[in-house]
Amino acid sequence: MILTFFRNLFRDLRRQPLRTSLTLSGVGWGTFAVVLLLAFGSAVGKQNMKSFRGVGQGFVIAFPMSTTLPYQGLPKGRRVRLTPEEIILAGQKIAGIKRMAFEFTATRRIRYRREDVLNTVRGVTVEYGDIRNVIAGEGRYLNGTDIALKRRVCVLGNAITKNLFHEEEAVGRTIFIEGLPFTVIGVMKKKIQTSNFSGQRDEHCVFIPWTTYSALFGDKYIGSFIFQPENIAASKRLIRLVREHLGSRAGFSPDDKDALFVWDWTEFEKSFSIFFLAFNIFLGLIGSFTLLVGGVGVASIMLVVVEERTKEIGIKLAVGAKRRHILWQFFAESLAIVLMGGWLGFLLAALVLRAIPIEKIREYVGIPEINPAVGVAAIMILLAIGVISGMMPARRAASTNPIEALRK
Amino acid sequence: MIEMKDIRKVYQMGKVSLEALKGISLRVEPGEFVSIMGPSGSGKSTLMNIIGCLDTPTGGSYFLEEKNVAGFNFDQLSSIRNQKIGFVFQNFNLLPYATAYENVELPMLFNGKPGKKRRQRVLELLEMVGLVDRQAHRPTELSGGEQQRVAIARALANDPSLILADEPTGNIDSKTGQEIMGLFVELQRQGRTILMVTHDMTIAAYSERTIRLLDGHLVEARQ
Repeated sequence: MILTFFRNLFRDLRRQPLRTSLTLSGVGWGTFAVVLLLAFGSAVGKQNMKSFRGVGQGFVIAFPMSTTLPYQGLPKGRRVRLTPEEIILAGQKIAGIKRMAFEFTATRRIRYRREDVLNTVRGVTVEYGDIRNVIAGEGRYLNGTDIALKRRVCVLGNAITKNLFHEEEAVGRTIFIEGLPFTVIGVMKKKIQTSNFSGQRDEHCVFIPWTTYSALFGDKYIGSFIFQPENIAASKRLIRLVREHLGSRAGFSPDDKDALFVWDWTEFEKSFSIFFLAFNIFLGLIGSFTLLVGGVGVASIMLVVVEERTKEIGIKLAVGAKRRHILWQFFAESLAIVLMGGWLGFLLAALVLRAIPIEKIREYVGIPEINPAVGVAAIMILLAIGVISGMMPARRAASTNPIEALRK
Repeated sequence: MIEMKDIRKVYQMGKVSLEALKGISLRVEPGEFVSIMGPSGSGKSTLMNIIGCLDTPTGGSYFLEEKNVAGFNFDQLSSIRNQKIGFVFQNFNLLPYATAYENVELPMLFNGKPGKKRRQRVLELLEMVGLVDRQAHRPTELSGGEQQRVAIARALANDPSLILADEPTGNIDSKTGQEIMGLFVELQRQGRTILMVTHDMTIAAYSERTIRLLDGHLVEARQ
């Protein structure tokens, strides 16, 4: 039965090869557009999110500044000074903080043999690397012992490594920071970073234990601190708690927004995600419209087909076809055209995606691919169009009056 | 087999209503061969459509094998057409792109008969009308007489008890027409009820009884 159904279906499609292929190409082209747009859209979104996360992931940055409100008898305009110990304590006291880290930052003179550069040196904690995605590609990142023993060790950004060492192996060598020797223990894995704060991008920085930094360069107060909320949605509440806690310790009002300048990166991340979701929906819509044009083509062709086959419908009804038999016949035919066209579009899109010289554009658009999300979205759109474009002609066919149809 | 009481059919054309059948009462016994005659516009086609369950009457009752089908909906009527009635048309009404085999198979596709039984039945029917060797031919490759024989085979697909023929010999030459009528006589001999619309007295002569229609009335019933 099903076999006969499909045999008849394909015979009906083959009867008008030109018409069928034109309709197919309309749908195929639409699908091609949808798939390609969605593939590029999701790749661009992913790539940008990746670059965006180069600076770190789901975290909040805070810079101690100067007070702008009087606090408990203290005048405004006082500099807010925070010691590493205060930050460590805050990280332990405030519930809901997943990780907390701080840094000392300055531009310093760095030398290796004849190479002599001025780059950002960051005195940091172990957690800092996790939050900021500073991951060692060679060697290792700083550990607790480095910090506790104030070791003169450093992790280099991948770009500064290249400037200092060129093709030479860096791990195990000694560099000089402000004339003081440091052993290179690791080189940061290359990462794409589009945003940054305090100094150069990480690939140009030297990371050393904060204890070493403080001991050698005499800094007592941190330049900035960062923390990751356990739950991103709670970032606002945590910021408030941090202000309250540090305000009472360092002498500033929790309402004094300028005393502690806070940059909630999680907010950016949220709006960024929303932006790219909207962007993808937009692309999907544009593609869907192209596909819709193909669907309209199918619907109008099928209406003509129904008109042409009125007699056939009449004969079938006369020998006992029910309305649903006729409905299914035409619905299946439309759907078959849409699905076959869709398949062709998919195939073409896959071929095109494979043919694109991806390396040249990878930095900006990532790797456009037909991932499951793209596939599912495209198939859903395709099915929706298929059902819409098939239903109208099929309903018309099914409502044929057999007596009038047989007279034709 | 057929029992109609006071069947009326009114067509509403805008504000004008046209009464095509003005109270027809008719009884056809199982195994009867009845001809329906009458001039154009007398209501023959309307009556045939109602008997054939292609149309429903505006008034009156119609019992087909003791079932009042006057109140049936479209799909219920489809089932009746599929199971109980076989149609033979003047212009054959075969699917032009389908082979003789596929045309005969068609009614069986709408009642879910399994493939093997379907195939067996199609070949049996083509054998009966003498067209087994032409089963792969399309209607355009067949003569008028052959096409009508395919149509008769199709009408018998689900072994219906009632055959409705609308001018079955109207589009074929008289010699072939006689062969076709021979088939109808054979069908009646097998116990089927046959109702046939015709203009041709010599064709009507094959039947046992002739009904005349005039202006929507049954005017004469000749035994």
